[in-house]
Amino acid sequence: MVKFTVEEMRRIMDKKHNIRNMSVVAHVDHGKSTLTDSLVAAAGIIAQDVAGDVRMTDTRVDEAERGITIKSTGISLYYEMSDDSLKSYKGERDGNEYLINLIDSPGHVDFSSEVTAALRITDGALVVVDCIEGVCVQTETVLRQALGERIRPVLTVNKMDRCFLELQVGGEEAYQTFSRVIENANVIMATYEDALLGDVQVYPEKGTVAFSAGLHGWAFTLSNFAKMYASKFGVDESKMMERLWGENYFDPTTKKWTIKYTGSDTCKRGFVQFCYEPIRQIINTCMNDQKDKLWPMLQKLGVTMKSDEKDLTGKALMKRVMQTWLPASNALLEMMIYHLPSPAKAQRYRVENLYEGPLDDIYAASIRNCDPEGPLMLYVSKMIPASDKGRFYAFGRVFSGRVATGMKVRIMGPNYVPGQKKDLYVKNVQRTVIWMGKKQESVEDVPCGNTVAMVGLDQFITKNATITNEKEVDAYPIKAMKFSVSPVVRVAVQCKVASDLPKLVEGLKRLAKSDPMVLCTVEESGEHIIAGAGELHLEICLKDLQEDFMGGAEITVSPPVVSFRETVLEKSCRTVMSKSPNKHNRLYMEARPMEEGLPEAIDEGRIGPRDDPKVRSKILSEEFGWDKDLAKKIWCFGPETTGPNIVVDMCKGVQYLNEIKDSVVAGFQWASKEGALAEENMRGICFEVCDVILHSDAIHRGGGQVIPTARRVIYAAQLTAKPRLLEPVYLVEIQSPENALGGIYSVLNQKRGHVFEEMQRPGTPLYNIKAYLPVIESFGFTSTLRAATSGQAFPLCVFDHWEMLSADPLEPGTQTANLVLDIRKRKGLKEQITPLSEYEDKL
Amino acid sequence: MDDIDARYEVPRTADFIRSRAYTRVALQFPDEMLRDAAAVARALRRELAGGGGGGVKLFVMADTAYNSCCVDEVGASHIDAQCVVHYGHACMSPTSNLPAFFVFGKMPLDTNACGRSLLECSRESDKHILVLYGLEYAHAIDDLKAVVAELYKSHSGSVEVQYADVLCSVMSPSSAAEREHDQSDGNTHSNDVSIQSDGVATFVNNCCNVEGSKRKYNLGGLTWSTPIDDNMEDYVLYWIGQDNSAFANIVLTFNKCDIVRYDTVANQPSRDVSHLMKILRRRYYLVEKAKDANIIGILVGTLGVAGYLHIIEQMKYLIKAAGKKSYTLVMGRPNSAKLANFPECEVFVYVSCAQTALLDSKEFLAPVITPFEAVLAFTRGREWTGEYLLDFKDLITTEKPEISNKTEEARFSFIKGGYVEDSCTEGKEEQSETSLALAEVTEKALSIRNLNNDAVLYQGGANSAIDYLKARSYRGLTGEYEGPAPDSVLTGRTGRAAGYNHETTKSAQ
Repeated sequence: MVKFTVEEMRRIMDKKHNIRNMSVVAHVDHGKSTLTDSLVAAAGIIAQDVAGDVRMTDTRVDEAERGITIKSTGISLYYEMSDDSLKSYKGERDGNEYLINLIDSPGHVDFSSEVTAALRITDGALVVVDCIEGVCVQTETVLRQALGERIRPVLTVNKMDRCFLELQVGGEEAYQTFSRVIENANVIMATYEDALLGDVQVYPEKGTVAFSAGLHGWAFTLSNFAKMYASKFGVDESKMMERLWGENYFDPTTKKWTIKYTGSDTCKRGFVQFCYEPIRQIINTCMNDQKDKLWPMLQKLGVTMKSDEKDLTGKALMKRVMQTWLPASNALLEMMIYHLPSPAKAQRYRVENLYEGPLDDIYAASIRNCDPEGPLMLYVSKMIPASDKGRFYAFGRVFSGRVATGMKVRIMGPNYVPGQKKDLYVKNVQRTVIWMGKKQESVEDVPCGNTVAMVGLDQFITKNATITNEKEVDAYPIKAMKFSVSPVVRVAVQCKVASDLPKLVEGLKRLAKSDPMVLCTVEESGEHIIAGAGELHLEICLKDLQEDFMGGAEITVSPPVVSFRETVLEKSCRTVMSKSPNKHNRLYMEARPMEEGLPEAIDEGRIGPRDDPKVRSKILSEEFGWDKDLAKKIWCFGPETTGPNIVVDMCKGVQYLNEIKDSVVAGFQWASKEGALAEENMRGICFEVCDVILHSDAIHRGGGQVIPTARRVIYAAQLTAKPRLLEPVYLVEIQSPENALGGIYSVLNQKRGHVFEEMQRPGTPLYNIKAYLPVIESFGFTSTLRAATSGQAFPLCVFDHWEMLSADPLEPGTQTANLVLDIRKRKGLKEQITPLSEYEDKL
Repeated sequence: MDDIDARYEVPRTADFIRSRAYTRVALQFPDEMLRDAAAVARALRRELAGGGGGGVKLFVMADTAYNSCCVDEVGASHIDAQCVVHYGHACMSPTSNLPAFFVFGKMPLDTNACGRSLLECSRESDKHILVLYGLEYAHAIDDLKAVVAELYKSHSGSVEVQYADVLCSVMSPSSAAEREHDQSDGNTHSNDVSIQSDGVATFVNNCCNVEGSKRKYNLGGLTWSTPIDDNMEDYVLYWIGQDNSAFANIVLTFNKCDIVRYDTVANQPSRDVSHLMKILRRRYYLVEKAKDANIIGILVGTLGVAGYLHIIEQMKYLIKAAGKKSYTLVMGRPNSAKLANFPECEVFVYVSCAQTALLDSKEFLAPVITPFEAVLAFTRGREWTGEYLLDFKDLITTEKPEISNKTEEARFSFIKGGYVEDSCTEGKEEQSETSLALAEVTEKALSIRNLNNDAVLYQGGANSAIDYLKARSYRGLTGEYEGPAPDSVLTGRTGRAAGYNHETTKSAQ
């Protein structure tokens, strides 16, 4: 059934101009997997008539059950294009055979880390947008991610069948809807001006937008129709294409094109006249079973049906006819081949985004040229569970050189520092594998420009890694991926039977590998913690953990826990002082909240410990109003040396200050990780060292004296500056019909959420609601919302920002105080917050 | 006076001293008994004089360097004592040089109430009951036995109650050594049974020896034996005494058993050991954390417990084999300020007696773990199974632990949430380290500015104290003075640190 062999596939892998690596991205439920099916069907992996129903790339049982994609799935497809269809292709090519490495990705926000992993190893993205629902929050997120990675997008307006069957909209109305969808997408893309990538906006008249009905397996681009009409009208194909979109009208009675609506009844927009109406006619005729009318029409279009297909009726007939007339694979493939870059082309500009090292070394050059003879540079973006329990394939992309079975490679982990031996392994690749549909095939080697799965490296790679030849000791790693979501929801897991602990440990290890985002750690109290992006993500992780990675051993799961942050509201009411244990040294400090936007700037890495001091002080003085000199006196960031809290030296002329700097910083790293309120991380606090009095003998002002003192004085400063808690807040986007709005509002109110945007989608009865919802209230939100709106509303939550809880946590009885109490209880701390007098000393 | 005689077992002590003809004897008191020290010494001297043992010199010792539960041999050797009489709560760790005589003191026990609760407890469970107790209650155990036997008779109960015995009240270093020898025999014996085919030896609970058809246990000065077929899990442990370190030792060692504690003050049983289980979980975290450490400080927490030198050597070897760096530190009783003097150490291994081994505080910059936990953390392939030991003597092995060079899989760190590999292959290179290493590294440091200083200093990126020093922004005096002339002498501050003279005047203004 499969139309191609491993040998054929392997052969094209060497033709770097005939490869397209692409991912299919979209909002949840816009039809990625369904559309992917038609491409897979065209390659002969599944039968044409079931395409659209199989959801071939949803390989997991729960994916099929829930009808959503959870893991991104890669699949390599081989196509042979006809000379005819390639005749206007201007780029470099090598024969008519093409290899498409396609990755279907999940659309739910909770799994967007999978999308990130997919985008890294592809060069182009097929953005699928529901023609009715339009550009949604996740469409926007993935688009931004794709462009950030310099992935060229093409768009397909999907679910066209809804226009014809469900909504029965007229031609002009449909056109308006489509053009709005495209416009919305272009608005997002326009913000990414990039000289190297060129114009990334999409235009139907240029062939970068397709119109598709994934469920029925048909699609077209304007070039399909242009080709059809070009000969008829005797005009150039490209000229025809332009006429089929935008302000071009045709009046069949006068047979004239105009650029304005003439007002005549018969005058219609080119798109409507030549694309929309013919399709509508065919569909209507099929649906009404007017076969006598249908056959001549088809004949005119040059569509021949097999005899057994002629017996079909209704929907099945329509599907079959449309598939034959406008097969989705043709339109989409053509669009990909024409408009998405080959690895050879893409790596030329992506190298800057990819390579961490200097861009003039041989590795960068080899990536830039996609040189199969160059040194191996391979990025593993994801680990895929193998059928062999407990083992994983390392899945990634070869950017330069080639990787072969049995090859000895260097694995550079995410913490690898060039020149050091940390997080570095030298191992053998046991097997290199490519995906042919559902099954894997071993191949001897895989050259650059392709995706590959490797066996035998899984015990050294947690989530991602850079792989080079054994001898390439001076290669830098490929840049780490940046995720758009962060693991904010956490649960503690325990095994029911104490002796299952080794199983749990092993299971967590595997879980950490299988998902690019999930974080498995141990808490200070000794509890195992799993952190994920959202409730659904965690649910899937826990299921995987228990069923696949622990062999069904029973676990108990704590209720979800949200981590908070500690911050301050005002400047400390006075300068606080702490004495060292030997009473010979004194530190004076004050705390103050950071300027608005500064913590975010630190989070994003715009300001950090590695900055050039001049650049940093420029940003700080221009954007945040800092004194220029002060900006140079930042001692450190914390926690973890990069966090959004800082220590600034405000002392003047203090002796020995340089000696204790490291000790104060050590104390600060410690304190900022465990704040005074509930031992949560601090955020957005600037600590100013006001004065320091030190003993004149070095032995009495050592680390032992200063580190604990620095910690205490930081706590004292925090407590005197009106400490507050910050809670994480989700941005929720809900799309629903008008009658469900009431339910949505009441659920949001009940959950402390507030709506800040409500907008009707033009041309649809749907409303788009954007709201903020505290993460802590989000558990069970989806199900409550569904219940309250009888299943009409489906929310997507993404972590958005930290919000201050206004109540004073130091005042007993307030909501925040109770929250602090709960956290302290959970962590096994003393219930009372340690009073200020423990930290502050008097003269 | 009689009270003192009885409570401090003066006659028995005198007999002991006389029988061995000691002439210089140290009396070691814990802080809470110190107020009776003079009276006890007087009573003892009188007793000795009365019995014809005059001329014995008695010395009172207090405020020991480590913990009052151990025999302070160093203190005793300052006065050339031939023997130590140890008063109060004792951990019964074997001594290395001096013989010791233990007086546990006598705490009151309501034997009737205790017996009744014991009976009730035996009704609730069909498991055997093993009675363990704080050594200060040892005097009342015979009474208790009688009461319980009586109660059983009247209630026609049939469940067996077993009592632990006090190991001894006299300890001489030779006998301790002998016992150790016995134990290592028993050890090898039981080792044969438990070595698994995959080469990863599980722990042999050394406090348990197989002797014939019995399994013999020694723990915290108590001894008991069970039939060889029984596991400790088949028993309900009934502890009489306070919720102190001795109890913690029992609970943590037998953490899978049902444990009932009879509170002697409130006179009621309690089954709540959750705080200790919490400690156990916390220890698990500390072990995970220790796995990530590159620099380990070995804290010497005893100078008396037999085998402490051996275990320190063993720890050094273990740490080295794991590719990490160790530094041995003697600092008396550790506190946060002392530990923070060594910020380069990411974890400390505290070698001390079983009952002081658990040292944990929020104030510590780096965690402090026990030698057992160190073995778990630094031996590849060893997993936390729930088995737990506090006493390091059970860890002492005669042969050097073999280094398994199996690197089948990188180590997964649950602190960092991913694979991390320790640079353990450098073991051999490091040996070439000379005394000039520091100079060499610091020399380089001056020319190449290390960009990862922060990571080295605060995130455990250093591999040795030299790395750490190199990364510091201030490395002490460099020896480069700008002006060769010394500074003129200045008058410093005067007064106490709590408030120097010039400051008090300032605040007065």
